[in-house]
Amino acid sequence: MRKTTLTFCLVLALGLGQAAALRAGVQAATDESLFREAKLLVFDKSWQAALDKIDELIDKYPESPLAIQALFYKGECLSGLGGRERDALRAYKSYIGLRDARPSLVEESEGSIIDLAFDLYKEGSDSALREIESRLDHPNKVVRYYAAYKLSLVSDKKEAAKAAPVLSRIVETEKDPELLDRARIALLRVSPESLKSAEDRKPGSGSTARMLRIRIRAAGQREPAFSLNIPIALADLALNALDEDDKAAIRKKGYDISKIMNELAKSKESILRIAGDDGTIIEIWID
Amino acid sequence: MSEQTERDPERRAEAGAIERLLKETEAVRSEIRKTAASVDWDSLPAVIADRALAGDRAASRRAPSARAWAWLAPFRMKPALAGLAAGLVVGAAAMYLALRAPQVPADRDGGYHASGEFLDRAELEMARRNTLDYLEKSQYVLLDVFESAGEGSVMPAALRSERTRDLLQKKKYLNAQLETFQMAKAKAICDQIESLFLELSQIDQELPAAELGRIRSYVEDRQLLLKINLVKKELQSGV
Repeated sequence: MRKTTLTFCLVLALGLGQAAALRAGVQAATDESLFREAKLLVFDKSWQAALDKIDELIDKYPESPLAIQALFYKGECLSGLGGRERDALRAYKSYIGLRDARPSLVEESEGSIIDLAFDLYKEGSDSALREIESRLDHPNKVVRYYAAYKLSLVSDKKEAAKAAPVLSRIVETEKDPELLDRARIALLRVSPESLKSAEDRKPGSGSTARMLRIRIRAAGQREPAFSLNIPIALADLALNALDEDDKAAIRKKGYDISKIMNELAKSKESILRIAGDDGTIIEIWID
Repeated sequence: MSEQTERDPERRAEAGAIERLLKETEAVRSEIRKTAASVDWDSLPAVIADRALAGDRAASRRAPSARAWAWLAPFRMKPALAGLAAGLVVGAAAMYLALRAPQVPADRDGGYHASGEFLDRAELEMARRNTLDYLEKSQYVLLDVFESAGEGSVMPAALRSERTRDLLQKKKYLNAQLETFQMAKAKAICDQIESLFLELSQIDQELPAAELGRIRSYVEDRQLLLKINLVKKELQSGV
């Protein structure tokens, strides 16, 4: 009798164990497949269909590790759908608050929160700016820089000027040319004087940073129709960003950007004067 | 000649007028001689200088700012010298302006400045360049994934993950510009790449062949590499 009972218990234990293992396997396959399907839909920007899959995953498998990641993608879907910015903000914030959140997705979430806050501000919610401002001193410099860049685009000049200290810091310390140029242009928008100070403080710039100046005068006019003083580092970009007519006049006279820069580099006080056919005078010099 | 004069009444009248004028001139000349004899020519310069300075002092009492011009007083007495000095100054200035080549415009105001319109154009140009750069770098990463699915990756998984994270950061900045400047085609392709990179950025271990194959077929199905090349061509020829 004892032997029979022991055998029965063993069989039962084995059976239950197998069933549990089988059940776990089925769940893994199912939450994984749901997650994969949802991500493919996200790739194709099928936001509503992707959101449905994600909600299904979170509802059916709340304990699955994939349910944590799914919260990030929920934010992506809500953000992509449009009109649900506040729900998206909540989803991203919930994801950031999770202990097992992945650092790369946390960084993405922070960026998305900044974007959503900016959109809400544009739609009239002034309080949304606090989300951006509060990230100006974020420990992650990627988040900090992006917050400063977005804040510089705000139409309220007083608010936009709050980005100046972080943008100045980028100009002074960053090596990435793309980031540097963005920070310079953003500072030209919100606080040109801060850009001048930052360029002057930048290691290797000497006591004062070199400046590119462009004046364009219409025929017979003394006052320039166009006037520009910018850091020499933006010269190439500036010359490419001139008005199409002025660029055409420059090209017609046999000048291209590299020739202009070469001529200007020969003597820092020299001035390049290009006269257009219509009498327009383009003056470019560096000091 | 005197006979002719006597015969012609007009000439007779003219000769009479000249005679009267000569007599009057003689009278004035004698008066000048008398006055000149009464002048003490040795002390005259000192007297004139005293009177002139007394005049200046009176004028400076009336208008204190005129003191600044007192140094010009000697030139008033010596017009030739003043003229010479002025000529020198004007000549030197003309020489400086003529010989100083090339000339720098007068409106050399100090700080940085740029119009909002210009900054918009600069940002558009920046968006064009950065999108091109983003697409080129994305192409390299995608081609590496293709290699991984075939003969083996050139780039270690950790490095690939780091690269994709960098590209994701760049994409964030591009988003605003691509939307603002209505570069819809570029934005669509960049968004698709972004989703893919979001996945790749989280994988810092070598992907199993099956997973790599899946990514490859995703890229091929949507002809991402072809689309990247087309958008690149458009951007290279200007927005």
